[in-house]
Amino acid sequence: MQHPYQCIAAIESTAQGQASSHLLAACGHRLVLVDVNDSKIITEWFSAISTTNTAEAPENDDGERPKKKQKTVPPVKPANIIKLTVSPDQAHAVAVTDDKYVRVFTIGNGKLEEISQRCMPKRPCAVQVLPDNATIICGDKFGDVYSLPLLPTASEDVPMVADTALESATLEADEPAFKPSATNLTVHTKRNRKALEAQMQQKAFSAKKEPLKFDHKLLLGHVSMLTGVAYASRNVDGRDRGYIITADRDEHIRISRGPPQSHVIEGYCLGHKEFVSKLCLIPGTDLSVSGGGENELYVWDWPAFTLKRKIHLTDEVVNTGESNAEASRQADDGTMSQADSSKKDVAVSGMWIVPCPAAHGGTETALVVAIERLPMLLAIPVNQLGLPRGQDVNITTIDLGHAPLDLACIGDSVVVSLDAREEGQSRFQAIKLQEVQEQGMIGNVRDGEMEKRLACLNSYPTADASLDGKTLDDLLYNVGNLRKRRGWGDSAKEGDDGPDGDAGVDDVAED
Amino acid sequence: MPSAAEAECAPETLLADSPKRVEIADIGCGFGGLLFALAPLMPSTLILGLEIRTSVTEFVQEKIKALRMQNVGNAFAYQNVSCIRANTMKFLPNFFEKAQLSKIFLCFPDPHFKARKHKARIVSQQLNSEYAYVLRPGGIVYTITDVEDLHDWMVEHFDAHPSFARVSEEGDECVRVMTTETEEGKKVERNGGQKFVALFKRLDDPPWPSD
Repeated sequence: MQHPYQCIAAIESTAQGQASSHLLAACGHRLVLVDVNDSKIITEWFSAISTTNTAEAPENDDGERPKKKQKTVPPVKPANIIKLTVSPDQAHAVAVTDDKYVRVFTIGNGKLEEISQRCMPKRPCAVQVLPDNATIICGDKFGDVYSLPLLPTASEDVPMVADTALESATLEADEPAFKPSATNLTVHTKRNRKALEAQMQQKAFSAKKEPLKFDHKLLLGHVSMLTGVAYASRNVDGRDRGYIITADRDEHIRISRGPPQSHVIEGYCLGHKEFVSKLCLIPGTDLSVSGGGENELYVWDWPAFTLKRKIHLTDEVVNTGESNAEASRQADDGTMSQADSSKKDVAVSGMWIVPCPAAHGGTETALVVAIERLPMLLAIPVNQLGLPRGQDVNITTIDLGHAPLDLACIGDSVVVSLDAREEGQSRFQAIKLQEVQEQGMIGNVRDGEMEKRLACLNSYPTADASLDGKTLDDLLYNVGNLRKRRGWGDSAKEGDDGPDGDAGVDDVAED
Repeated sequence: MPSAAEAECAPETLLADSPKRVEIADIGCGFGGLLFALAPLMPSTLILGLEIRTSVTEFVQEKIKALRMQNVGNAFAYQNVSCIRANTMKFLPNFFEKAQLSKIFLCFPDPHFKARKHKARIVSQQLNSEYAYVLRPGGIVYTITDVEDLHDWMVEHFDAHPSFARVSEEGDECVRVMTTETEEGKKVERNGGQKFVALFKRLDDPPWPSD
């Protein structure tokens, strides 16, 4: 088995007058940097194993079995890279590993060097470097959005100074002795009474979590798990206004002011009937597109918080994809197993804007959509997104050899990382799109040249005997898991409100 | 002869042509004590109770129906009050538009004593932004609890939120009602406990940064 490249990101820069193209590709816990023009891997990085391997039970010198049964700690695997992004000025890359670390790399001069690693309180699920190239915004599965300086300040150990009153409110004062907050006069419910009894018996004060030691700000928070975070900018009356757009599992898309006023919610784009999983801003317009657990994309005029139209991902499109998925399914190692009942459920797993030159030579773009597990991409010319309701939008299906995991653009070439697990299968496909003017359809041509340049990634050794289909599926396919199960029966576990349930965050595991 | 059900006079029918919107929200209204006490004091204002427990919500809805039937023909007939089952922590913006409300009541919220459950508390830095969103500038959040620690927590978080400023409880009739008219409030009275009250005004949003 070979490990697919779960995240890729393109770096295009002109340093010293020379245009250069690089591709960053994450494979499990490893990150490689490819010089596209030279067709070779020039650097690799991997996140270290964090604890020592204690899997072998130590034996006494004379070979006797140890008297006591030793607790063996399973070896901690190095953390996989789960998010990857590049700063707008192409000078830095930010990777998130699934041990909650946000890692910053310099990527100039063909070097890949980790310059910081900061552990976030919860697992980050979205990360972006702001246009100022100095700030990272980071959303986590708990619902919070933080901002961090891209380049950490020299003294990482300086205790955090609260910039705003908001921050100090979240730091609770340490109390030397534990004192229950309630008294016999205050308890009302059975649950609260039990909690009070437990607290009365508690002698020592259990240590609260340490506040983060590096410079950071909590910008805003949803109660639900965040699924997307994006920074947007609009020019109003000659001034640039920044916004943070956040999407969550409970079907919300919220538009807040950008830092330093992120506590101000400007509005919501409401309408999704299932979780939102992907957000895509359309550059140069006031439009945004969102997708999630429905087979419709929503097109919004986000500054006006209104839905302009939906784009139906027709059943034929989805069904074609399904039958292709069936054909390419690898039955023997049980990969991509999926409950039959959810076979028709759509989960949008990716949305990107890619170049799509028009026949007459204009610089057009297309919105490309990936649906989880389906070996295809759907392409829609951006100029069709604004078509009024009632007018059908042309969706072109681009068949792929395997399900797409991530996508990056190098020049006009659209590079797709594929879930190709059998050794010898190519893990990349590169295509060039072109709009066919009259019909609004999109033609695509295989970019064999680019694929050749990326062949070095295919020959990079990633074979791993310990890899199994299930582990890979868990890493690569979790958008569908965002779906809430309806009905009172299982609702308490799934984060739905049970009839007498808690309002809050039971669906998000404490980390 | 109209049936009991038809005599219910659902508010939607009465107010079908009215541009009136709910202005007062009682978040976690429980058995409705506050709703029933406030309703006659502001007969032309729509008051909505939100409660997460289905059985409790149904109780309040039944009581509202009963009060309306008992008062058919009277000047005041509890037509301005209603209750729905809702999870406001997650879905407040689904129920109310921006700046719709003039008052929000948070009466005797669940303290969620354990530290790890603090995120489930009804007041937090993050949630306060949502309260600010549905409340109009000048609108008031009313809080009351008998748990001093929770009171301190709520005060700290609203004080720290730039959209709110604490204001005095004096001269506001709703404070008297909130303090004496809820089931919880009465229970606390009987037990000889203390009640802690805090009010916060929703401030104007700052202008966009100018540089």
